[in-house]
Amino acid sequence: MRDSLTDTATEALPITIRGVTKTYGRVHALDDVDLDIRSGEFLTLLGPSGSGKTTLLMVLAGFIRPDRGSLRFGDDEVIRLPPHKRDLGMVFQNYALFPHMTVAGNVAYPLRLRGISKAEAAERVEKALETVQLGGYGARRITQLSGGQKQRVALARAIVFEPRILLMDEPLSALDKKLRERMQIELRHLHDKLGMTTVYVTHDQREALTMSDRIAVINHGRVMQIDTPSRIYDHPANRFVADFIGESTFLPVGRDGPVVAYEGQPLSYTDTPPSGDLVLMIRPERLRILTGEAREANRFEATVTDIVYQGDSYLMYARLADGAEVAVRGVIRSTTFSALPEVGGSVTLGLDPEDTVLIPAGDAPDE
Amino acid sequence: MTYRLIAAATALALTATAAGADGITIASWGGSYQKAQSEALFKPASEAMGITVKEETYGGMSDVRLQVQTGAVTFDIVASGSGSASRAGAEGLLEELDYSVIDVSTFYPGLYMPFCVGGDVFSTVYAWNTETFPDGGPQNWADFWDVEKFPGTRAYRGKVAGALEPALLADGVAPEDVYEVLSSVEGIERAIDKIRELKPHITVFWTSGAQHAQLMKDGEVDMTTGWNGRFDVAAADGAKVAYSFNQALLDYDCFAIPKGAPNKDLAMKFLAEISKAEYQANLPKYITYGPTNKAAYELDAISADVAAMLPSSPDNAAMQLPIDIEWYAEWETIASEMYQEMLTE
Amino acid sequence: MSEAALPMAAAATHADDLRRDARREQLALFGLASPALLLVMVVLVIPVGWLFYLSFIGADGSFSLENYERMFDSKSYRRIFWTTFEISFLTTGICILIGYPLAYFLAQLPRRAANLCLITVLLPFWTSLLVRTYAWLVLLQRKGLINEWAIDLGLWDEPVKLAHNMTGTVIGMVHIMLPFLVLPLYGSMKAIDRDYLRAAANLGAGPVRNFWTVFLPLSLPGLFAGALIVFVLCLGFYVTPAVLGGGKVIMVSMKIASNIELFVNWGAASALGVVLLAATLVILFTAARFVKLDRLAGGGH
Repeated sequence: MRDSLTDTATEALPITIRGVTKTYGRVHALDDVDLDIRSGEFLTLLGPSGSGKTTLLMVLAGFIRPDRGSLRFGDDEVIRLPPHKRDLGMVFQNYALFPHMTVAGNVAYPLRLRGISKAEAAERVEKALETVQLGGYGARRITQLSGGQKQRVALARAIVFEPRILLMDEPLSALDKKLRERMQIELRHLHDKLGMTTVYVTHDQREALTMSDRIAVINHGRVMQIDTPSRIYDHPANRFVADFIGESTFLPVGRDGPVVAYEGQPLSYTDTPPSGDLVLMIRPERLRILTGEAREANRFEATVTDIVYQGDSYLMYARLADGAEVAVRGVIRSTTFSALPEVGGSVTLGLDPEDTVLIPAGDAPDE
Repeated sequence: MTYRLIAAATALALTATAAGADGITIASWGGSYQKAQSEALFKPASEAMGITVKEETYGGMSDVRLQVQTGAVTFDIVASGSGSASRAGAEGLLEELDYSVIDVSTFYPGLYMPFCVGGDVFSTVYAWNTETFPDGGPQNWADFWDVEKFPGTRAYRGKVAGALEPALLADGVAPEDVYEVLSSVEGIERAIDKIRELKPHITVFWTSGAQHAQLMKDGEVDMTTGWNGRFDVAAADGAKVAYSFNQALLDYDCFAIPKGAPNKDLAMKFLAEISKAEYQANLPKYITYGPTNKAAYELDAISADVAAMLPSSPDNAAMQLPIDIEWYAEWETIASEMYQEMLTE
Repeated sequence: MSEAALPMAAAATHADDLRRDARREQLALFGLASPALLLVMVVLVIPVGWLFYLSFIGADGSFSLENYERMFDSKSYRRIFWTTFEISFLTTGICILIGYPLAYFLAQLPRRAANLCLITVLLPFWTSLLVRTYAWLVLLQRKGLINEWAIDLGLWDEPVKLAHNMTGTVIGMVHIMLPFLVLPLYGSMKAIDRDYLRAAANLGAGPVRNFWTVFLPLSLPGLFAGALIVFVLCLGFYVTPAVLGGGKVIMVSMKIASNIELFVNWGAASALGVVLLAATLVILFTAARFVKLDRLAGGGH
């Protein structure tokens, strides 16, 4: 159900990015980026620092002028439009709240610029502040706010003029872990309530997985993969994505027609593997310690090298016959941890065919 | 404050011991002026008397005041402007001079007073730009005030000293009555009103000799008041400037003995020596200021050509109005405030 | 019980030691500051106190208010104070008008270019004040370069009076004061986070609105600091008005000098100094309130 700050609902806009390139000297900050962002979706640009995700967001906002490319909001070409005419909401990493204005002054600022009457502006400001659970905070000074409150004010300011697109540049990175996790859920709810197209930049994969409808993984100025969080996690398109999101171990596999084998042992799998050279991706939590049950699984004999206690789970490191080290994560229940083999003991690990993910050996889609 | 005075006194006491018993210490203004005094007066006189003279430079009567007030007087003789010497004398900072020792019989009248004996004579004159006025400039103060006959910008003194007398002369007061008229607030006001009349044409109120010379040199003004010696230097330097002694103000610098000078008697004798015509006659060789002793003009040292340029040569002196030191002692602070009033209007 | 008391006692002893250590550290810190404090005492407090004392000493050496009475009775003193404040305000105003765009321009340049330009702004600091003032005289006087060139170019026919008046004084003072305004202003502009400007643009502010609603308010503390420095320095100016004012532009400092020459005691001059100091303090105090308000508004910035 869509909600709105005013009674007149506005439609969210899709964003179409085509061939956007930005170079600094010989470095490609953005390398021929194509991206379709659907109307009303929560899309996260995820990548390591220097990957180009922030540059892409700045191009969307109009703060960085790309060398070439096309950018459309809905049907309108906006690539040459200056930032103040793009009508986007944006939340900055450091909030960028104007220190010389009150909370209400900040939130009213975009309304003032749009010539909205004082009375109406006051009403909308209060409503926006209520939306971010800061009702009654209007008269406060920015310096009197905590980090989380600043975050909410920045959000209120970005949505008060009902932009059809909302951009967020690592908005939660300055908050502590607990607050960050709560804000993630709140932001997501707010998005669902207001329904605007949201582009969110983060380097935190867990944040991306928690909040997004879809995630675009960016590296070296290119989109590595764009998909839903579970597809990204379970079926990474290449080794970079697999490596960047979650923990994983990669084992070299041989391929002979449909038969894929590790160390001469054929693997059973369910999904059709991509063409070309492959590696086997193993997530620690998908490996199990086999204790002789009959279920069909790919089996690996290994020697335990280390066991780490992590409270809610344990992490066991084991060396396979070819010397590769894999990690196994398991939930700790009162019996499981004490039942683990000792360091130096041998263990049989199992991987279900559904969890046997084969991905291209290269780092990037076209490698 | 006490500490400061003690420190100053200690420092002065140390320098005092440096001067020998058979010598005196003279303080003057330094520069080319003191050099001229030294060459023409101090050195020959000290040789003739067989004493040593230690020369120093000082910052004026405020230094003397400090020495006298702390009882640590090190100067035996100081060179000073006549006006400030007169005020210092009235304040009790100077010894009365013994004119039975110093022979001033051939001095111009008015170039010596109880506390100070004249050392050189200069004139406050009006000068004009010879390019602006090729057919001759103003010949009296009335001309200086006449902006129709002599159109052009003027400069005038920024302080009251030597500023009121020309105004009264321009206003038609006879030279001999000038100081009588000035000896009342109304009279001073009359002079200042006359300057107010000219003020729209006065571009600059100058505050130093260097400044009025430069103003003429740069052609910034077409006419100015000023000290004759400076214009001679400027003219020698190529400036298009001429001046006249007619109705000029005759003023002088003098020598005085601070109260409690360590070698007071010797200083008195030394003043008698340098006041003699033979020393005074040498002064114009070094600077275009005239001797205070009339007899110097009768000696061969001053040629007729040089004499014609000197403020105190008998012909030039006769045209001028001598400054009345006593009037300054009595009226300068009052007149100065009134003058400033006019300047700030 | 006695076993429990032993560690307690030991802890108490440590508390004393720690307190002593803290005090020793404070003393050491104070020791570091003491030369500066002493210097301030000697070069600031004592002379100002002496000045204050002297201003109440009359010509005859006894306690008297005559130095102050003279100031309030005479019109010329009032005019001199008026001129002093008029010139200071005018100079500060013109410095702001010229200095703000200059600082803004510098703040937009890349660091290297800005440093180079800053050096040219600072260059006047390396030449003597007197030389610079006389240089202006050479440029501005009746037969100076500006008048001669302008007449040659046909801009005007008669020499314009640029020197020996208020105009010349203000021109000379603006030139000397400009760096004092530009430096703090440039610093405060550089410190403005670009994200504020981006945020304003994102929210719909065009370049002009952006400047007036965000950049200008955020640069105000620097502007205020610079303007205050300029204003206060102007109040005590001597050389420039003396050379370029033509003797008609008389500021307090010049009157102080002439009073020392004219009157037999220092009291007359001291009284002027005290009144100027008091007036300056009043202005600083008033200004400080504004600055503080501004700080509050400026937040953590």
